[in-house]
Amino acid sequence: MTYAMTDSAVPKSRTKKQSLLKQIMTMPAGAILLVFVTLQIVCIAGALIYPDSFRYLSPQNLTILMKAIPVLGCLALGAGVLMIAGEFDLSIGSVYTLTAVLMASLVDSGMSAFLAAPLGILLGVMIGLLNGAITLRFGLPSFIVTLGGLLFWRGAVLLYNGAVQVRFDPEPAFTSLFAGTFLGINAAFIWIVLFVIGFYLLMHRHKFGNHVFATGGNPAAATAIGINTDRVKMIAFAIAGGMAAVAGILATARVGSVQPGQGAGLELQAIAACVIGGLSLRGGRGSIIGIFLGVMLIHTITDVLLLLRAPGFYLDMFIATLIVVAAAFNHLIERRGAA
Amino acid sequence: MSASNLLELHNISKSFGALTALRDLSFHVGQSEVVGLLGDNGAGKSTTVNLISGIHKPTSGHLSVDGQKTLFTCRSDSADAGIETIYQNTALVDSLSITRNIFMGRERTNAFGFLKQAEMRDIAMEVLQKAVHISGIDSPDKLVGDLSGGQKQAVAIARAVFFKRRVLLLDEPTSALSVRETEALLAQVLKLKAEGVSSVLVTHNLYHAYQVCDRFVIMSHGTKVFDVKKADTTISQLTEYVVLT
Repeated sequence: MTYAMTDSAVPKSRTKKQSLLKQIMTMPAGAILLVFVTLQIVCIAGALIYPDSFRYLSPQNLTILMKAIPVLGCLALGAGVLMIAGEFDLSIGSVYTLTAVLMASLVDSGMSAFLAAPLGILLGVMIGLLNGAITLRFGLPSFIVTLGGLLFWRGAVLLYNGAVQVRFDPEPAFTSLFAGTFLGINAAFIWIVLFVIGFYLLMHRHKFGNHVFATGGNPAAATAIGINTDRVKMIAFAIAGGMAAVAGILATARVGSVQPGQGAGLELQAIAACVIGGLSLRGGRGSIIGIFLGVMLIHTITDVLLLLRAPGFYLDMFIATLIVVAAAFNHLIERRGAA
Repeated sequence: MSASNLLELHNISKSFGALTALRDLSFHVGQSEVVGLLGDNGAGKSTTVNLISGIHKPTSGHLSVDGQKTLFTCRSDSADAGIETIYQNTALVDSLSITRNIFMGRERTNAFGFLKQAEMRDIAMEVLQKAVHISGIDSPDKLVGDLSGGQKQAVAIARAVFFKRRVLLLDEPTSALSVRETEALLAQVLKLKAEGVSSVLVTHNLYHAYQVCDRFVIMSHGTKVFDVKKADTTISQLTEYVVLT
């Protein structure tokens, strides 16, 4: 007894064979990859044709790009895992600042940065777990809970530290490990690449990742099959908080100081990078490589506009358009998938 | 009731606050038997399913598996006992591939928890081809969201078959299916019975039930009103019991 009773009973497939372009577009992160590669080709061609006026390929510019990407990258990776699990964390920008301030002031009072940095990450993880506990215990939307977190921790920074800049002066080994240069490549960039590989393995090659996708994609199904969705979400909240702290460490090691206002708006940029990278706002869809491409795309566009000496507001308008277009595109893909 | 009964419900009652959903319900499922659990809306069929699959706990009474008294406190308890529930809206994740869905929550991994992807893919391929023949599924990498209702149902059944379930609980499995898909599903239930897998078919479609069931348990107002072998009844008698009790 088979589903296909006889071969003749099976109607011929009525869907046409898809073109290569369409196949790429429906791949996870396929569309963003296409946009990213196209943009790179245009930029590199422009830089080769106008080497003096458009210095995209100059070593200075590439270094700036490599230094800029890791901070947003860490934030977006953490926020992205949580988004795939079906929750949001708007507090990561504030947590990023808070943990950096904590680390810098601990170092200032004589602690080794190699001890202060893990403490900062621990604080980030604890705040993530707190967000998760409140969200899950009371069945609230994480959007609201972490909006509270955003304001609360932003205020806590000012309470703890005041509105003054904190100097960060760690041992040289710490600085060279997180902000130095290795084989001509910025250390922070190497870190973010390692994180991307690690998160890729976790989300796409490890059973935990499968549980995260299941939890975000269909919580009822995940529960029915025996996955502890609350536990999965708690871990995802912890990852988001921890990665916000890591971003704080990378940024602070690079600049050598912390501004109490520096994290404002970063949480939205991180979520923007995730949406551009193909993550669904409803959870369950997305890829780590998409998140990373989203971050790189935001920074490439920022960089190009700076090189073209465009005023800053163009940047906001550009990113805004990109987010909406990306979200609309993702939605189309989802609807096709759900049909 | 003989000791060989796979699953037995003994005098089970279940209340949700003031509402009594089940009253003193007892029935059993034998080895290689297809039982039709019938009844009109609100008869308590879904509560019974949730109870057997471990989502609800009985207020009084107990279950036994192979004659051993057991208590299911969560979904995985019933899975350990070999019971797989296939829900009305199948418990699958649309954004994941067929392979990932089949192994969801029961992934094959190495010692570090990393997935054995090639192994799982091969098994999924084999299960889809051998155990559940479904037209239109050519690759286990397809996203479940791209499948039809019947194909999804088949993936859920493939999952149950692979994990060597002894009892399938099918909760209104045909409500979302086309005619052809329904025929194929019912055929699948019979095929599994021949392989020693029992099924409980929960439905209010008497014709579908009559096609495949060996025995019928008819529920009304939270309790059993009729328990009869197929040989001893007719479809009109069953209809009478469902409608009039």
